[in-house]
Amino acid sequence: MRVKEQLLSRTFSSSSGRVGDPSRRDFLSAAAALLVGLGLPSTSLAGGGQHGSGGSGQRVVVVIFGGVRRAETFSLEGIENIPHLSGDLLRRALFFADVRNEGVTAHFNAISSIFTGNWQRLDDWGKFAPTTPTLFEFFRKQLRVAQSDTWIIASNKALTSLVGASSASEYGPSYGANVVFPKQLMVAAVVNALQAGRTGNLADRARIEAELQAMLEAGNYEGLGWNVFDGVNHLEPRVRSVIEDAISTFVRSGGPTSGDELTYLVTREVMRRFSPRLLVIIFSDVEVAHFGSYALHLAGIRTGDRLAYQIWRDIEGDAEYKNRTTMFILPEFGRDPDGSATNGFFNHRSDSESTRSTWMMALGSAVQKAAVIERPVRHVDLCPTVAGLLGCPRMELQGVPLSEFRV
Amino acid sequence: MTNQAHEKLPEQLQKALDEGLLKQLPRTFLPVTRQQLHDWDYLFPYERQSVVHLLLFLASLSPAESTALFREVVQVEEKMGVRDWQFSTEEQTILNASLLARSPYYQEWRKAVQKVFDAAEERAAKTSPAIAASHRLLLLVIPQKLPLDGSTVWRRWQSVGRAVKLDGPDAGASQSPTQVLLGTPRAERGAGLADIVARRPGSTAANVWILDAGHEVVDSLINAPFEQGSYPATLLSYERLAVFREQFSHEINTMQKDLSAADAVYDRLRKSDVTPWCPPEVAGVPVIREYLRSLYLSGNGALIYGNSFVEWGASEALRRARPDLLVARFGARSKPKPFTSVVVFENPDQINPLPAVDDLPGSGLDAQVLALYVWLAASRYDEYRINTACICLAESLSEAYVIAPPEFALFREAQPVPFVRLRTVLAEWLS
Repeated sequence: MRVKEQLLSRTFSSSSGRVGDPSRRDFLSAAAALLVGLGLPSTSLAGGGQHGSGGSGQRVVVVIFGGVRRAETFSLEGIENIPHLSGDLLRRALFFADVRNEGVTAHFNAISSIFTGNWQRLDDWGKFAPTTPTLFEFFRKQLRVAQSDTWIIASNKALTSLVGASSASEYGPSYGANVVFPKQLMVAAVVNALQAGRTGNLADRARIEAELQAMLEAGNYEGLGWNVFDGVNHLEPRVRSVIEDAISTFVRSGGPTSGDELTYLVTREVMRRFSPRLLVIIFSDVEVAHFGSYALHLAGIRTGDRLAYQIWRDIEGDAEYKNRTTMFILPEFGRDPDGSATNGFFNHRSDSESTRSTWMMALGSAVQKAAVIERPVRHVDLCPTVAGLLGCPRMELQGVPLSEFRV
Repeated sequence: MTNQAHEKLPEQLQKALDEGLLKQLPRTFLPVTRQQLHDWDYLFPYERQSVVHLLLFLASLSPAESTALFREVVQVEEKMGVRDWQFSTEEQTILNASLLARSPYYQEWRKAVQKVFDAAEERAAKTSPAIAASHRLLLLVIPQKLPLDGSTVWRRWQSVGRAVKLDGPDAGASQSPTQVLLGTPRAERGAGLADIVARRPGSTAANVWILDAGHEVVDSLINAPFEQGSYPATLLSYERLAVFREQFSHEINTMQKDLSAADAVYDRLRKSDVTPWCPPEVAGVPVIREYLRSLYLSGNGALIYGNSFVEWGASEALRRARPDLLVARFGARSKPKPFTSVVVFENPDQINPLPAVDDLPGSGLDAQVLALYVWLAASRYDEYRINTACICLAESLSEAYVIAPPEFALFREAQPVPFVRLRTVLAEWLS
């Protein structure tokens, strides 16, 4: 840790990320120096690029954060907010230092673009499904994969179940992923308690659990935005058990109670019970930035950092996943630069480097060696890359497979 | 109540409109232009001046010049297919904004629009008198109760100014430093900073803005009014606006999650009579009532956190009114409450009976960043690039960060500068 800090402080410039955009170049130098210090190459790795057909037996876990700027993450000052990503994971990761969102930097469009490999330009409110097939549909249709093998577990209230499958005529919901929004259960429970005048229950952990259970029993899963095994009005017993166990831990553990914590706990249970081959987790505590609390935004980043690391540890500790899983971690986009007319970190709609340029880490079985990749890549490149790792045939997309992975 | 304009438009502008000026405008220019004309009563003097400058500039163009000026915008609109959109040309809507933002040509459109405004501003600069030379002051206050780290507190400002050590006032004093600087209560009002600006020829309430995350400063000004029922300053207290905020939040929370419902709710909120929700210092000032309505509709946490209200309110005041004196005083927010905080941010005390606990370190960090944002918002405008002093006061450190022209007297004072001397320097700066 100390060596890393010395390398970083020697090579990072000062706080260039604050007033104006951070310097990616500074980060690159530092990260490269770090890897050199560890005896690892800092150039692109050979191999990859060939995507086989048929199931590969590989599993892929994608962790997506909401909008976070480089200034608060991979920069001299930001690195303190991501001790696990920069300390525990970077040393074994393939790190893409300039990952670009060239589409609409709003949640539903950003996530849909990542999932489909094409820039989506949809209604911001998730009323319409992506217009081209998602990764889940490719995977399930082409390789005849069960729905229980593909999951999206998300905190973000801006998403809907339509994000899990496209409106493309030959694909669609019958090939889509299971979609669960754990935080929506919490929202519904609180609103329900408020409407019934049971506000006292919201300050008591045991009663909170009862409120959550009541929502689970109410069966309005469509209202929650869930789409699990086509269950609009019922939950399969195994899924119900997953959610109940996650709720129980969430409420009784005495630990943090943010939306991302609940999302993580549901994720952990889904991994244990279903071992999905393609799992996407979307954290969004960072989006408190929209309300203007910088301190709570940083707390959201730290939570995401901790939970992403925990997921990696869960992968390494699970025989179903260990040594056959590749994990990707990336933000949806950055946030607007300080001094922008769009009110800086509050929002993510300016056409700036701070908003469009982010980063991505990849860890696990498809990563031959840790390295920093300097060339710009795009969000839409992730879909064909993951599809290749899973053994899907090559597809015609705006995105192209990243060549750095071992397939 | 509707926003129907009652005041007459300037004669020259009305004449240009009667002659069909709006027909020259591209489709995407119409909503904002029509809304500004419709809301004329509720525009600040600076905004009215800007609208007049732009529209009279456009009216002065020959048909060929007008076509040339708008050529790029029209071309981009055609590529976007605006004609086929469900695009309101009467008023700005969320649907309009959404359609524009997700077009692949959005950035191209923005650049083309910016060129039109640049041309208008260039013309205005040639034909209008230079920016008035009167001094301006931005006073940003991080109050005593918010803990700050003296070694890092000014780091984000990147050396654009300099830190100045202050002496006093005493921590146990009955008045806050902000109250001392503003010259309240009445007995000391003679040298109050707000009074000095208010006495300038032609000054209106739009020239002096006091935004308070709490209520103490606004209370003290209101309790020693300038005249019965008169407020020659814009006084906005987050806490005094609680009823307005709660009513607004209630309406917004009923909003369905789709664009048509959002626009319907926004339309309802635009037309609601908000006067009963306002404290007296706002209720009697239509332009401020409408400013608040607009501020709350634009989000940015103004309905949620006092510090966000102060920052975004100040930024919008700077953009829309270009005040000579703006005071932004930050405060403390509560820690998120377990469970319910993940769901509903507004009115946490009403939905969760657990006692609210101040998050003082977090609020301190929020205030540091948001104070900088107020300065950055000001620095986007020419008016604040000259003759402006910006003082960010860190009360708990007895220190201020000062951005000002070299001749600013505070730079010549021996440190620590007594607080009463700071007040004198600021009063002289504005006099």
